[in-house]
Amino acid sequence: MSSADLAAGKVIRMSLLFRLQHLLLTVLLLVLAVTGFALMYHENSLAQWIIRLEGGIHNRGIVHRVAAVILMASLAYHIFYMLFSREGKPELRQFYLTKRDFDDVLLSLRYNLGTAKEYPRFGRYGFKEKFQYWGTSVGIVLISITGIMLWAEEFSMLFFPKFILDLALVIHGYQGLMGFVLLFLWHLYNVHLHPSVFPMNPSWITGKVSAEWLLEEHPLEYEKLKEEGLL
Amino acid sequence: MMRPFLAAALAAAALFFTVPAVAATPGVGECMECHGDKTNEMTLPNGTTVSLFVDMQAYRSSVHGGSSCTTCHADAKAPHEKLKKVSCGKCHGDAEKSYAGSSHGKLHAKGITDVPGCDGCHGRHDIRKPKDPAARTFRLNIVATCLRCHKDRAIEQKYNLPDQKVMAAYEQSVHGMASKKSGLTGSAVCVDCHGNHSILPGDLPRSATHRQNIPKMCGKCHPGILEQYDKSVHGKGMRGGIAESPVCTDCHGEHTIAKIHDPSSSVSSRNIPKTCSGCHDKEAISTRYALPKKRFSSYMDSFHGIAVEYGMTKAANCSSCHGVHDILPAADPASSVNKANLPKTCGKCHPNAGPNFAKGDVHVEVSPKKAMGVFAVRLFYTIFISALVMLFVLHLGLELYGRWNRRKENGPGGKEGQS
Repeated sequence: MSSADLAAGKVIRMSLLFRLQHLLLTVLLLVLAVTGFALMYHENSLAQWIIRLEGGIHNRGIVHRVAAVILMASLAYHIFYMLFSREGKPELRQFYLTKRDFDDVLLSLRYNLGTAKEYPRFGRYGFKEKFQYWGTSVGIVLISITGIMLWAEEFSMLFFPKFILDLALVIHGYQGLMGFVLLFLWHLYNVHLHPSVFPMNPSWITGKVSAEWLLEEHPLEYEKLKEEGLL
Repeated sequence: MMRPFLAAALAAAALFFTVPAVAATPGVGECMECHGDKTNEMTLPNGTTVSLFVDMQAYRSSVHGGSSCTTCHADAKAPHEKLKKVSCGKCHGDAEKSYAGSSHGKLHAKGITDVPGCDGCHGRHDIRKPKDPAARTFRLNIVATCLRCHKDRAIEQKYNLPDQKVMAAYEQSVHGMASKKSGLTGSAVCVDCHGNHSILPGDLPRSATHRQNIPKMCGKCHPGILEQYDKSVHGKGMRGGIAESPVCTDCHGEHTIAKIHDPSSSVSSRNIPKTCSGCHDKEAISTRYALPKKRFSSYMDSFHGIAVEYGMTKAANCSSCHGVHDILPAADPASSVNKANLPKTCGKCHPNAGPNFAKGDVHVEVSPKKAMGVFAVRLFYTIFISALVMLFVLHLGLELYGRWNRRKENGPGGKEGQS
């Protein structure tokens, strides 16, 4: 954290590497959603228009699979990074789900209903961020496995009967739909429309948030940084 | 014993001597004195003029060129008044008989002059053998001969005949192109399907183009296909008198028959699903013959169906798996879609296809009975995603409610937490 940042009351929340991963994920998920839903809802005229835009059914598949390969590569990189790198290891620990996260869910409910006076005090990541992170990760793993099964259908049918591939197809499509709905409703609401960040939480571009915001939303993290003399 | 012979000889002699004596049977040369004149015309009572010229050269090179005028015009004298109608049936009895039973013949007998008599198709003095490339009835000339009337809009309307589009379609069809463009005499022309002297409308059982006769009729040129078709479920049904069982034309069309690689063909890879589902997507037919339902929609929802729909024609269509002329029900051990044969059938496109290809439905019909797994997973996700959306709305509402409540109590709305 540079002294200029400190002077301006800014705190780094997303390192450049994370921002790049986030940006890559945004682009890839959009491409995969557009190409994937065009196939899933192929009888819809908008889907047909999109397929034509993508250069036909064959090219649509190529675009989808190129994006998928990059996504899987970035997922593999992310897993290694989080498990083995010096910057990643402590970050992963911050994402561990604890009993406290579930208590926080209830506490936030009670706070909004008016039966609790205090809103839960979050560390670096609150329960919403943790749920989102694990949800996305599990979703991407699931959709990758089923995607590979469907891509290499002859290979996977050496091991699985046809009806398992039928299941894989349904899971692949609906898992995609679920991810899309979650990202569009929950995530975009949380980082754009929510009163505390409206119109946008800038950290995905600048990597930084204000110290006041951190104190408001992640007081435990704020205190920790203060203790460490980083604020 | 001598008497009848003698009598005949005497009669012949008498004929021989008396006829020239009357000088009433003219030779060809005498006829040509008048009929060789190109300007020789006659005015009919209704005012139209008819040429009486006979092209001697054309006559001599015709199939009848060795005869004399009086072979057909027996009552001709020189000079003469209007002659009797020529009767071809005197020599061509069989042809006259089958013509008399045809649509043309019946109307002709009623005195309708729009329909062709013998001369309408064969010509008059210039009749040639059908094998002669100059003949009107030569295979490559037949279409033009028939179309002289059948492309005439007035005649089409008067007799309620198929319109010009049908005729134009034939000319664009694989058969029409083969004879017209490629000059192949083996290609089907009008008479190959409709017959020649005995043409009848297709709804009469005696007609060559009646449903029951069509496979045999096409089989004249496509015997190998007929053999396959005869063994197929469709061929068996047709022979069993099931009128809904398809014959050649139901899939291939009639005058519009095109090559299978022609995108306009009803049996091109792109169009085959629609052609088959013309019957197989009909509730009544599926029920009557106890056939599996939803074949079309389940195919169109599969990757094969989507790919074909978007023009990826190497993807499997109905016939890729079920066969073409040799289609058999899946229960038949010889069927390409019998469970035991599926790996081999799938293997045509998926070289490593093994027994797993046969485990599960190919046409996945999503219902608890047919595909419980897919149905359950789909239901689970539908409920789960709906629940998530509802939770989101609830969550949003709750946050707004809390914020509003807190603002009411102590000014600014406090925080809701964010991510």
